[in-house]
Amino acid sequence: MTLEIIIAGRGGQGILLTGYLLGKALVKKGYYVVNSEMYSAETRGGFSRSDLIVFPSEAEIDIIKVRKADIAIFMYKDQMHSYAEYVKPDAQLIILDGTFIEEPAKPWPRVLKVPFTRLAEEKVGTYRVANVFMLGVFSYVTGLVDPETMEEIIKTSVRPKWIEINLKAFDAGYNYAKENLEKVEIKL
Amino acid sequence: MARREFLTGNEAMAEAAIAAGLRVFIGYPITPASDLFEYLAEKLPSYGGVVFQAEDEIAAINALVGATYAGAKAMTATSGPGFSLMAESLGLAAMLEAPIVIVYNMRTGPSTGIATGTGQGDVMQSRWASHGHYGVVVYSPWSVQEAYNLVVKAFDTAWRLRVPTIVLSDAVIAHTRELAVVYEPGEVKVADRKPPREPPGEFKPFKPDPDDLVPPMAFYGEGYAVLAESLVHDERGYYTTDPENYERLVKRLEEKITRNKHHVVSSEARYTEDAETVIVAFGTLARSALALVKDLRKQGKKVGLWRPVSIWPLDEEGLSKAVEHADRVIVAEMNLGQLYREVARILGPTGRKIELVPVLTPELPGPDELLGYFRKAGVEI
Repeated sequence: MTLEIIIAGRGGQGILLTGYLLGKALVKKGYYVVNSEMYSAETRGGFSRSDLIVFPSEAEIDIIKVRKADIAIFMYKDQMHSYAEYVKPDAQLIILDGTFIEEPAKPWPRVLKVPFTRLAEEKVGTYRVANVFMLGVFSYVTGLVDPETMEEIIKTSVRPKWIEINLKAFDAGYNYAKENLEKVEIKL
Repeated sequence: MARREFLTGNEAMAEAAIAAGLRVFIGYPITPASDLFEYLAEKLPSYGGVVFQAEDEIAAINALVGATYAGAKAMTATSGPGFSLMAESLGLAAMLEAPIVIVYNMRTGPSTGIATGTGQGDVMQSRWASHGHYGVVVYSPWSVQEAYNLVVKAFDTAWRLRVPTIVLSDAVIAHTRELAVVYEPGEVKVADRKPPREPPGEFKPFKPDPDDLVPPMAFYGEGYAVLAESLVHDERGYYTTDPENYERLVKRLEEKITRNKHHVVSSEARYTEDAETVIVAFGTLARSALALVKDLRKQGKKVGLWRPVSIWPLDEEGLSKAVEHADRVIVAEMNLGQLYREVARILGPTGRKIELVPVLTPELPGPDELLGYFRKAGVEI
């Protein structure tokens, strides 16, 4: 089956990089992944959205943009409200950054609210890696991408001076999830 | 060795050109083609190639023609406004039978339109931009992988037929990432020129071989007298007003494509075996159309999809076969009816109902929005 993932937040939160890293990891696992991006003209503060559609093989590709997401990751409340209509009512998993979001926009059945931005600041020393901290949590909770693959991809995808801190953020997120959160089985 | 990469369409097309043996890239920056240019600027020199930013698109295409005459596989990348500037020398390339390759990423038009939006308004422009009657080949990809494959194919066609070849892509493919299997130079098959068979004194640069109508090509610097004449010329490349020569030349520029169309045309049919209605769409819109067809199939409706991969010329036999059981054909495209005219020309005489769904938006519609455009056009499905 096809798995649709939407990742959205404010410009500057690293939404596009998150989609790219996750897409690359899923490609490495053998899936056919489509990753399209939408963003406003501002470098920071506007909206930013990254769609991932995971197909079992190339023969099955069709849509390019998310139609109804199975997994939604919202890093900021405004974009959660903007894009809630593109999420399935019975979505498999909703991940929210609790630093900026108090309540889910809809009564989704499986919501995981974690204050990624605050935790990144506390545990890694900068809020700027909240996105990769989230990926660490995502990796543990969903089991869709294993940490070794993700670490390898971080090493080859981000700018050299940002590699170390991103690896640290990924580990911190993964360990935080291991200690505090339950795994969620994702159907794919 | 084949590598599995996660690339944007622009990156994939750049990789494809390198694999096909690209030696010279000449461009002028424009959205949504600049990042292809930047990618090659970083990468092509390490393969021994040259990347050159011309003063404008006019100079870029002229230099491109020159590069092919010097024996280099050469490419440029642009979008609608840049292609408009290239129009005059597109005709020059066709007339000189210069095997140039143009990546043409469509954005929202007309004029400078919406620079960051996508579009499909350039079907006719890609075919008829220059004056006079001449031949070009145009391919249109619907995915990053196909964009890769078609750039390789474009080099093959350009050099096999000595014809300007265009890959008509769009802003969505340009910036969407997908899995692409890519290769190194020498690992993909691309035609080379037919070298001259006569010694320098006897060689005629525009004398076609009778079977494929393609003249062997001598490069500058090889000792042959090569006259690159944009005026109507004879087999030696000399200007002549002789009506018979004119007729022969203009016919041949088109016929060398139609006669070799088995190398050129391709299309894909999905769910058409029993389809009573066939939707025709190309490029990224065909992805949404395919999802719509799958939805309609779930409702028990006998609907299929036919998408051209070569737009000019179309795979007319493929189209006819796809609509064998259909009495309705619906063309959906992001303009007010361009591919539609070709489909109507081909299928009109068969008596089938041929309808148009114009989709005018700077964003690629998904299947649900596309269905909305069917309703807007009063086309029931």
